[in-house]
Amino acid sequence: MPSVRTLGLVVRTVDVFETSLIMTAFTRDLGKVSGLAKGARRLKSPMQGGLDLLGVSDIVLLHKASDALDLVTEAVPVERFASLRRDLAALYAGYYIAELLSDLTDFHDPHPRLFDAATVTLRHLGEPLLRSRRVLRFELACLRELGLMPVLDACAHCGVEVEAEGDSFAFGLATGGVLCPSCRTGQPHVATLSGRTLGAIRALASPGNAWRDPELGPGSLGAVRATLGAVISHHLGRRPRLLPFLGA
Amino acid sequence: MASGRLEALDRLIEAFGRLPGVGAKSAERLAHHVLKSPPEEALALAEAIRQIKERVHHCRTCYHLTESSEELCLICRDSSRDPGVICVVEGSRDLLALERAGTYRGVYHVLLGRLAPLQGTGPDSLTIDGLEERVASGKVREVIMATNPNLEGDGTALLVANRLADSGVPITRLARGLASGSVLEFANKEMLADAFSGRQCF
Ligand SMILES: [Zn+2]
Ligand SMILES: [Zn+2]
Repeated sequence: MPSVRTLGLVVRTVDVFETSLIMTAFTRDLGKVSGLAKGARRLKSPMQGGLDLLGVSDIVLLHKASDALDLVTEAVPVERFASLRRDLAALYAGYYIAELLSDLTDFHDPHPRLFDAATVTLRHLGEPLLRSRRVLRFELACLRELGLMPVLDACAHCGVEVEAEGDSFAFGLATGGVLCPSCRTGQPHVATLSGRTLGAIRALASPGNAWRDPELGPGSLGAVRATLGAVISHHLGRRPRLLPFLGA
Repeated sequence: MASGRLEALDRLIEAFGRLPGVGAKSAERLAHHVLKSPPEEALALAEAIRQIKERVHHCRTCYHLTESSEELCLICRDSSRDPGVICVVEGSRDLLALERAGTYRGVYHVLLGRLAPLQGTGPDSLTIDGLEERVASGKVREVIMATNPNLEGDGTALLVANRLADSGVPITRLARGLASGSVLEFANKEMLADAFSGRQCF
């Protein structure tokens, strides 16, 4: 029976039977995994504390036959994020990250950079000034890592460079990015973004420190929030449960 | 209807299958058990289920379960309990566990759930409005948070504490950390960290 050890962020737990639970973790090396933790809710369980939501744990999984659920045989807490227990806005943001990792990624599809982006974001959710930007950056990192990143510089349909019409751009939520005037017609789910909003998305998506620029005011961040929320809802096939709880 | 299937049996299997922790196989096993058991036993089960829905309801004040025609539960009606101290729990099972310890003499408030937005349970699904009203009455001296010591329980306590913050009533929480009868050597670092932050005067 092969067993594997990996670092994982617990993104979902469901109580089963009297004392067990099924946990889903987004792990650094294996991507999303699920496993049955027998007796984990018992008072003297060695796994106690290691399977709490939004904690990073050192997890050992025992692979069962292909149609059976893997077993979690160890889960030792490695990192907990204190701000989630002190600040409700940070907690909601953390739950949103868990929802994206749980519902947007596939099983056994590893993305170590996404794992790192999640833990870095969770570590800093206690800073109210940059919190919403960090969440937006995480969403963009998520889209990029999963190959769902909207095209921001050229027409998502034909590839030509897109000029602003006045100060607005057509943005195809289903097409996956900005659209040139000739491709715009006939595309479903097209939103109109201001140049300022598009600029803010580009800044948030780029490396470096442009995303910290105080010029990205709350006004444009609200529009970015709405746009990315719509993009993610499109890929998820539903509106994320936590979206209404996030401040702009 | 597929060949050989019994509609009534299927309905029972389906009903058992909706119970928490009961899979398809167990649901089928339970349904066949009921089918084989003596009629009086099976009907007693049906009657117990009917009565719990008809006779048990939530206490108007604290939302704990109460029976029959009484509006208030036994604890809220007990004049020897101190109504100035309210212990907030997620569910009636938690309340019963605390009552078994037998040391607490205040009253309770049952939230009827925990803040779990990933599962669709938001702030509006909990009985926080009722708790706010009780605290606003001015007769409460302390609110004790006894939600579960995990992220969802802590988040629930945080939400409740935020909602009560303006009342000025002191809010405390149950101590956590080392289990009685355990040894330091085997406690993990989270338990030890909790034990340090929850330390008390000797
Ligand atoms: Zn085009
Ligand atoms: Zn009561």
